[in-house]
Amino acid sequence: MMDKSIRVDDSAKNIHAELRHLADSISQIIKGIRVAQEPIADSRNKVPQATEQLERVTQQTATATHRVLDMVEAITSREGEIETQMKELRRVLPSTYFRNNSRVKRIVERICVSASANQNDAYAIMDALQFQDITSQQVDHAISLLEQVENRLKDVMVGLQLDVGPENDVKRKERAYDPNANFSSNSSEQSEVDELLNNLTKEKQNN
Amino acid sequence: MSRRILVVDDSPTLVKFVSYSLKSSGYEVVGACDGMDALEKVSHLESDIDLVVTDLNMPNIDGYELIATLRQNDRFAEVPIIILSSEEGDEDKQKGEKVGATSYLVKPFKSSVLLAEVARLLD
Repeated sequence: MMDKSIRVDDSAKNIHAELRHLADSISQIIKGIRVAQEPIADSRNKVPQATEQLERVTQQTATATHRVLDMVEAITSREGEIETQMKELRRVLPSTYFRNNSRVKRIVERICVSASANQNDAYAIMDALQFQDITSQQVDHAISLLEQVENRLKDVMVGLQLDVGPENDVKRKERAYDPNANFSSNSSEQSEVDELLNNLTKEKQNN
Repeated sequence: MSRRILVVDDSPTLVKFVSYSLKSSGYEVVGACDGMDALEKVSHLESDIDLVVTDLNMPNIDGYELIATLRQNDRFAEVPIIILSSEEGDEDKQKGEKVGATSYLVKPFKSSVLLAEVARLLD
């Protein structure tokens, strides 16, 4: 009789100890959640700031790129005008003029060569400015990933019954991008240009 | 009379770059910021479009849907369509061909390559 009561007493003590341990663990978990609440909420709130910052980068590079494109367009136009004026000069001067003035002839030729080289370089600058389109696609991809993180953090907060705060009413931009857009590897080689031009010449000859 | 080309891309930089390249070679250009804008613009045009240059990844109506829609219209049944895309995969090229694209150029591209391709398809 005595043994049984001791055993019951021991069991009750064990259960009591386990319950206390469980209560302590729950208390620790709750403390942990409270500690985590602020950084989770803070991280979630920072995502829109990061996306805004990235969008500003895209807008500013686009503005700068368009200004450069406009300037390059003006340069190519002026270089084209130089070439036209040089042709006009050749036309209006008597045919014997350049024969008798070889130095002037060389100067005019050099001006034409330089104008043509400047135009080619200007086109190369324009080609290179496509970087802005490629990087804006990469930025859009990064923004999309950040928005996914934001949504996951919200899910975590809802799951932990934490205050998610007011919903952001800002309508998100619809994004269409290629996540694999790459500026360095895709650029068409000069050989491809030559091949296309050769094909074009052949087709014209055949017609 | 100069040939008229429809340029469709959601990147204003690309539309500006392609438009300038084409205009400097004597083509007339109509720009659009996505497939929906392109369809809207061609529906209001009285004269024909001779060639279409389009991106694939665009909001509202993407390049594939735009091409498929244009091909259903008798006015665009035979018009050459060039896809400009940063998607390099064969799958995208085949899908483009299936909906009715004539040619495919990978971004970034040289303007001389685009001009040669336009000339090949129009001349």
